[in-house]
Amino acid sequence: MSVITSTAPRRPMSSADQATSPEGRTKTTGRQRMGRNTRHQAISGWLFALPFALAFLLVFVLPIISAVRASFFAQVASGGLYGGGERQDTFVGFDNFVTAATSLSFWRGIGRVMLFGVIQIPVMILAAMFLALLLDSFMVRRPGVWRLLYFLPYAIPGIIAAIVWSYLYQPELSPFAGAFPSMGGSPFFLSPQVMLASMANITTWTYTGYNMLIFLAALQAIPTELTEAARVDGASGWQITTQIKIPMVRGAALLATLLSIIGTVQLFNEPSMMRAVASWMGNDYMPMMMAYNTMMGQISPSGSGPASAISILIAAVAGVLAVAYAIVQSRMSR
Amino acid sequence: MKKSRKILAITAASALVFGMGACSGNPGTGSSSAGGDSKAPVEITYLHRLPDGEGMVKVDDIVARWNKEHPEIQVKATKFDGNAQQMIQRLETDVNANNGPCLGQLGYNEVPEFYSKGLVLDVTTEANKYKDKFSGAFGQMSTGGKISGLPQDTGPLVYFYNETEFKNLGITVPKTLDEFKTAAAKAAVAGKYIADFTPDEVAFWLSAQTAAAGGVWYGTSGDQWKVQVDSPASQKVATFWQDMIDAKSVLTLDRWGDAYGKALTDGQLIGNIAAAWEFAFLLDPLNDTPAEGQWRVAQIPDFGAGAKTGPDGGSGVAVMKGCEHPVEAMQFNAWFNTQVDDLTTQGLVVAALGNPKTPAKALKQFGGQEIMKELATANKNLSMDFAYIPGFSAVGPKAVETAAEAAKGTAKVADVFTTAQQASIDALKAAGLSVAQ
Repeated sequence: MSVITSTAPRRPMSSADQATSPEGRTKTTGRQRMGRNTRHQAISGWLFALPFALAFLLVFVLPIISAVRASFFAQVASGGLYGGGERQDTFVGFDNFVTAATSLSFWRGIGRVMLFGVIQIPVMILAAMFLALLLDSFMVRRPGVWRLLYFLPYAIPGIIAAIVWSYLYQPELSPFAGAFPSMGGSPFFLSPQVMLASMANITTWTYTGYNMLIFLAALQAIPTELTEAARVDGASGWQITTQIKIPMVRGAALLATLLSIIGTVQLFNEPSMMRAVASWMGNDYMPMMMAYNTMMGQISPSGSGPASAISILIAAVAGVLAVAYAIVQSRMSR
Repeated sequence: MKKSRKILAITAASALVFGMGACSGNPGTGSSSAGGDSKAPVEITYLHRLPDGEGMVKVDDIVARWNKEHPEIQVKATKFDGNAQQMIQRLETDVNANNGPCLGQLGYNEVPEFYSKGLVLDVTTEANKYKDKFSGAFGQMSTGGKISGLPQDTGPLVYFYNETEFKNLGITVPKTLDEFKTAAAKAAVAGKYIADFTPDEVAFWLSAQTAAAGGVWYGTSGDQWKVQVDSPASQKVATFWQDMIDAKSVLTLDRWGDAYGKALTDGQLIGNIAAAWEFAFLLDPLNDTPAEGQWRVAQIPDFGAGAKTGPDGGSGVAVMKGCEHPVEAMQFNAWFNTQVDDLTTQGLVVAALGNPKTPAKALKQFGGQEIMKELATANKNLSMDFAYIPGFSAVGPKAVETAAEAAKGTAKVADVFTTAQQASIDALKAAGLSVAQ
């Protein structure tokens, strides 16, 4: 979205214009008799799309279908000490969903994720917007260098970032964690009271720079005529920022927040790594962890059935949250 | 955004549906299908996760020797790069897809699970031919009287300690639990700890101690499981550790956390009850430090059942369902697992009978002690009554969670056993098996 906006000619609403025009063109060609050239183009078009379509089908659509099917089945033995020596793939209807949806640890996990998101996402989005505004203003020299520096944490793979931070949080290894008091027998940063904040810190550190880039792209797509006109009319830098720039990046903020909500529900790297240094967390601290460990036989009932049901529930929760956010957002902007 | 998370989520999700197999490739079919031609050699595939590290006799080299001597039975060994849990998942997926190896490494705790899922073959007749070559661990590969393979290594609990530090403190290797507590208290005064309560290892570590105290976690009564995790033997173990945790005379660090290694190198941790296979790497952090060569191995204290110890880990090689040449596979299995000296270099306490040489590395780290003799004694004292249940993999994590609480002081060690008791019953019921009330 931001890409279209930035390459578009510098007038407002240009992206909307662009989006409609190719559609109009295809409509007219559709009505005409297909020329040889057009047919050739159509074939090459499909051929170009083929690799994507195949991969999409293979790694996206099929797994989803397979997961939905699996969620209605369970592998159970037929009683006794070891069963009949073979587990039966049995259709169990909505049993797996009922088990997951009535599981206290699932909702505890969702609760943790929500608490995490309610605090971490606004902090990160505001910080990203602030940094973008700073770089977009004329106050910073060499914005390119700063842009790269802020973005750098994102270049570190999430799991590596989590490992590095887990070292920084352990008093035995960290240069600073030893200075904090221990909380109920746990090291400060790894205690039940602080764990969510510790993980939020990792996430914020990693993704603020990335979200900043989204805002920066949106800011740079604001036509300079607008700000120039405002300046001529006597607007101060503060007024330009609050009255023009921030309202103009509302779309980018919506996108960044939406993707962050979905990303938060799927938190996996951070809790998994932190669990390696804080065993009290258990293997169902967050829903994605719970799904994974159910599949791996580390939580009973285990297997692909219960694990798929948990995954689908997670997707449903993420969907509900995203839709709710979009509705609230559009009501507020009206 | 959060792209890496999304990718991970997608990988995990596709793993969920494809059951790990789709993204991990093909280990080769069970065995050659060219059964019609009697001249063609039989092909056996073998999936293992032995370390194959530096200075060890490589699995491929051992296998090459077999292949040279047995042109009619050609074995192809593949090393699985991942942890036990991932390998189990891979085996299960591949075997179910009729695509599994002929032989696969299984932890003793995983054998009942695989048996109940119908993923292993019953090779009782074949296995019994080789029975006299193995120690009591032979029984660990059997489920309800049906044997699915041969044992490879064992993990009896032993006591590792720093002899020099012990002398400086004026303490000796404790022979009973009371002596252990007294020695721990004495060392703690000097800021030294002769043991560490390791929350992340409790599933095997505490169950092995129950076995050392003469108890078991699981028994059978007729056609039903009898779950007795919180038996009197377990309670004895719980009191032992609770007393020392309360007195702050033991550390409470995770075994696989980085803090454990630091406590070792700092000289704070000067002993611990641990599985015998830890000899292979426990002291690595102390190489080229003043503490190198100061450590020794001894038997664990008497937990109340005499000279007895419990099984903490170890694994065997099982014949997987779909293997077309189980007889030949078992021939190789028996040969491979009796290459005692070679397997010892892999850091294993080998289950086959024999007198393994103590590897040079261990001689250096343990100040010249012939530790293999001591470990063999532990092997001999190993309780063979202890058996696991199908679904044990889900019991461990629950126990670990509570153990972490116990380490912090927000729960008791006894609660670990209560949690494991309930988790075991839940796991059995969820798997559709019968539990005696």
